[in-house]
Amino acid sequence: MFMARSKLYIEEHYPSPLKHTWNEFQKSHVSLTGLWLLCIFLVIVIFAPGLAPFDPNKQQVDILLLPPSWDSSGSIQYLFGTDSLGRDLLSRVIYGSRVTLGISILLVLISMLIGLTLGAFAGMGHGLRSSILNHFLDSIMVIPTLLIAIIIVAILGTGLWNCMLAITLALIPRFIHITRNMVRAECNKEYVTAARLDGAGRVRILFDSILPNMIENLVVQGTFALSAAILDISALGFLSLGASATTPELGSMLSDGMELAYVAPWSIALPGCAILLMLVAINLVGDGLRSSLRHRLQH
Amino acid sequence: MMSYLLRRLNLLVITAFIVTVASFALVYLFPGDPLINLTGIVPANSEAYAQLQQEYAFDKNLFMQYVHYIQEIYQGNWGLSISSHNSVLDEILLFLPATLELSVYALVLSTVIGIPLGFWAGLRYQRPVDYGILSASLLGYSLPVFWLGLILILFFSLNLGWLPMSGRISLLYDIPHYSGFILLDILHSGLAESQAAMQDAVNHLILPTLSITIVTSSIVIRITRRSVTEVMESDYIKAATARGLSRGQILWRHGLRNTLLPILPQLVLQFTALLTNAMIVEVIFSWPGIGNWLLQAIYQQDFPAIRGGMLAVSAVVIIFTLSMDVLLRLINPLKDRDVHGTI
Amino acid sequence: MLLLDIKNLTVEIDTSTGWVKALDKVSLHLKKGEISALVGESGSGKSLIVRTIVGAIPDRWRITADRMTWKGQDLLSMSAQQRRKIIRNEMSVVFQNANHSLDPTASLGQQLRESVPANQLEEVSFWQRKALRTDIIVKYLHKVGIKDHQQCMRAYPHQVPDDICQKVMLAMALVSKPELLIADDPTMGMEITSKVQILRLLTKLNQTQNLSILFIGHDLSAIANMATHMTVLYSGQTVESGKIGWLHKRPLHPYTKALLDSAPSFRKDLAPKSTLSSLDGTIPTLQHLPIGCRLGPRCPRAQKECVKTPKMRHISSHFYSCHFPLNRGGK
Repeated sequence: MFMARSKLYIEEHYPSPLKHTWNEFQKSHVSLTGLWLLCIFLVIVIFAPGLAPFDPNKQQVDILLLPPSWDSSGSIQYLFGTDSLGRDLLSRVIYGSRVTLGISILLVLISMLIGLTLGAFAGMGHGLRSSILNHFLDSIMVIPTLLIAIIIVAILGTGLWNCMLAITLALIPRFIHITRNMVRAECNKEYVTAARLDGAGRVRILFDSILPNMIENLVVQGTFALSAAILDISALGFLSLGASATTPELGSMLSDGMELAYVAPWSIALPGCAILLMLVAINLVGDGLRSSLRHRLQH
Repeated sequence: MMSYLLRRLNLLVITAFIVTVASFALVYLFPGDPLINLTGIVPANSEAYAQLQQEYAFDKNLFMQYVHYIQEIYQGNWGLSISSHNSVLDEILLFLPATLELSVYALVLSTVIGIPLGFWAGLRYQRPVDYGILSASLLGYSLPVFWLGLILILFFSLNLGWLPMSGRISLLYDIPHYSGFILLDILHSGLAESQAAMQDAVNHLILPTLSITIVTSSIVIRITRRSVTEVMESDYIKAATARGLSRGQILWRHGLRNTLLPILPQLVLQFTALLTNAMIVEVIFSWPGIGNWLLQAIYQQDFPAIRGGMLAVSAVVIIFTLSMDVLLRLINPLKDRDVHGTI
Repeated sequence: MLLLDIKNLTVEIDTSTGWVKALDKVSLHLKKGEISALVGESGSGKSLIVRTIVGAIPDRWRITADRMTWKGQDLLSMSAQQRRKIIRNEMSVVFQNANHSLDPTASLGQQLRESVPANQLEEVSFWQRKALRTDIIVKYLHKVGIKDHQQCMRAYPHQVPDDICQKVMLAMALVSKPELLIADDPTMGMEITSKVQILRLLTKLNQTQNLSILFIGHDLSAIANMATHMTVLYSGQTVESGKIGWLHKRPLHPYTKALLDSAPSFRKDLAPKSTLSSLDGTIPTLQHLPIGCRLGPRCPRAQKECVKTPKMRHISSHFYSCHFPLNRGGK
């Protein structure tokens, strides 16, 4: 038998930065709820085929525009009702979340990787080349991502693939800008100078000193970029520039339902709610992370 | 200050250069014949084509083509729209003011709503009022603007029938085009029924403005609130308290300026997001603005129009942000802080 | 009569590990026309006392005190407005970090003008007030040793060096002709000539205008020259207080002795090249304050009883809080 260690004197214990951030994050119930919600959406993204009761594109002509189950004329079999082609709305929302959120996450990761690489170069570099890049980025940053995406789609033609490419290209400058500023800020701090005086090379400084200090900030920026990506991809879908009508994408589902909004309000209310919930979850997590990061740095 | 202005001017020139190069590049990037993409004129025969080529310096190298392109842009010849055969610039000048009108009202309204609410929340930091405002703004910030517009239409136009769901003004009124801002035009027209027309135009404006305002003002609230909480925790506010100033005096003399100065540039940046939102909202409300027009151009593959629209929108954004940047710099007493701060 | 009388002031602040008594039963009093010094290492709660007196601390922190009075009026129970009036007219504070305590977006002149109280302007008509305000602040700027007042008044805080900020803060504090000046390390980081000038100014004001000063600082020799009373703080507890001569000659608390011993200027008998004595260990962090006497773990004389907080005892007006005081063997 081991006696429980007596805790007369609480030992000085400093959690690691990541753990500390997590502790701070955990304190806020709202942020935790956001995280749970996000996890649920991630489960939906991964297991959509198993969760959806029907094929999202199966058209049933005999049950067009069936109201959701809570309506008196609805059926429990079609929980969210059906759309104008008799497709089960629940399955479409599930698949739609998969397409919208899944693609957005993918795009953010890709553009973060590219942006990080280029941004690190821009931040560590000096002289004319990096100055030109900075000016170029500053001017790009002024134009909203969605507008850039629209222009790129206009060049490439409509379609989900072009849309994805457009949003990636539109997100990259953002990440370059953020990374560059962060690298610049860190480079001026004393610990980097100390590392440099120790003879560390640029690459080593970047990977050993700067990147670990940026990681959380990048995650926060990633969540903001993710919400922007979701908004952009569904907006392009809504403007019929993105996913074609057969692909269940939340934005294009909204524009499908637009003509029949008066007859079947649920067909626009439900996909919209799905987008809203997704964004709320992401923004909650992002906000929670940001404030816990700020708390950590204050104490 | 002078060096600052020069830097900004430099940035303006570079940005203008990049945007014009990009728009010129679009001529080649768009599918189809570059010359047709540029002019919007489909020549009838090869002779006409050759003439057109010469006219637009297309028989010379790319650089000369670009120089010529800049000249044409400067002279107001932005090409013809393929679908309507009108001058692209004329169409833009007709549609852009409608968008600007919507954006300006939404911007003013967002600031007027967002900043006081942000202040209120920031001053009641971590109390019920703060939590209430914060959650509302989080919700508003997460709303996709196109869905919000649809829901507003569904509720206020279709269910309640209070407000019109599309357009800028009822077809009953024929308002001559003057400034492009409908409310100003009505005032200027001096029509007999201008009172009723005004009412009608305002009714048409409410829903689109509201949907943009809800989204933008929640961002404004968040930015303001954060700045307020930071300033109220600062040493100089504590020192002012210790000097025996009242809360009102502290807030008015020291809090307001310190809170607003750092966030104004961020608010200016929101304008671009607001403009994008306005362009999406136009589609939902069939608002005859540049967003709607640009999208029609995309659907119809009207390349001269897309190019022109992009150029116009970018120009608006760049001119607005840069001029606001300079303006803010002028009123900021900390403008030369950076110069003195670094050793 | 006592000007400021604080007895058993406890301030609890919320940290990430829960509520902590940052000040634990601190007592402090000040007579009219007296210069009293408050000494202690950084982090011992000196500045917190100042901020508690003027009410510049977050509302959520818990303050309890047996007594906290200003000329017999209870500061804790009076209305915020009343308290503000007292703070505005009768006491003034100079904070540490002068450059953070000035509004970065207002020029120094604006801030100086703001601190001229309205009652000094009553005798002239309103159109002359601006000029009078300027006259008054120019006079005080000269007093604190700023010669180029015009440039100073035009400047923003970030445009002038730190010591000018400190002087401006002092001018702002003095301009309202207070009865009590609370000076929280007003000469921190100043060069020696300005420092002497400021200290001389304070002493002169004390002698000629009967200004009471609560002086907070590290510089023991300067304090010994200026002050008549001294209160020693350690980790938020009052350790010892009394006339400076007594404390100097016969410190009762081990901490006071250690503090005095660590200052070479106080020890004329110190042999050349001998080591300065100091206590083992470091000041405990806020999260890990020892129970009882907070000096306990570091105290050379600590015994079992020291886990209980010692009561404040006194020999005439020399207060100390220790179970096993020094220099009492004879009695």
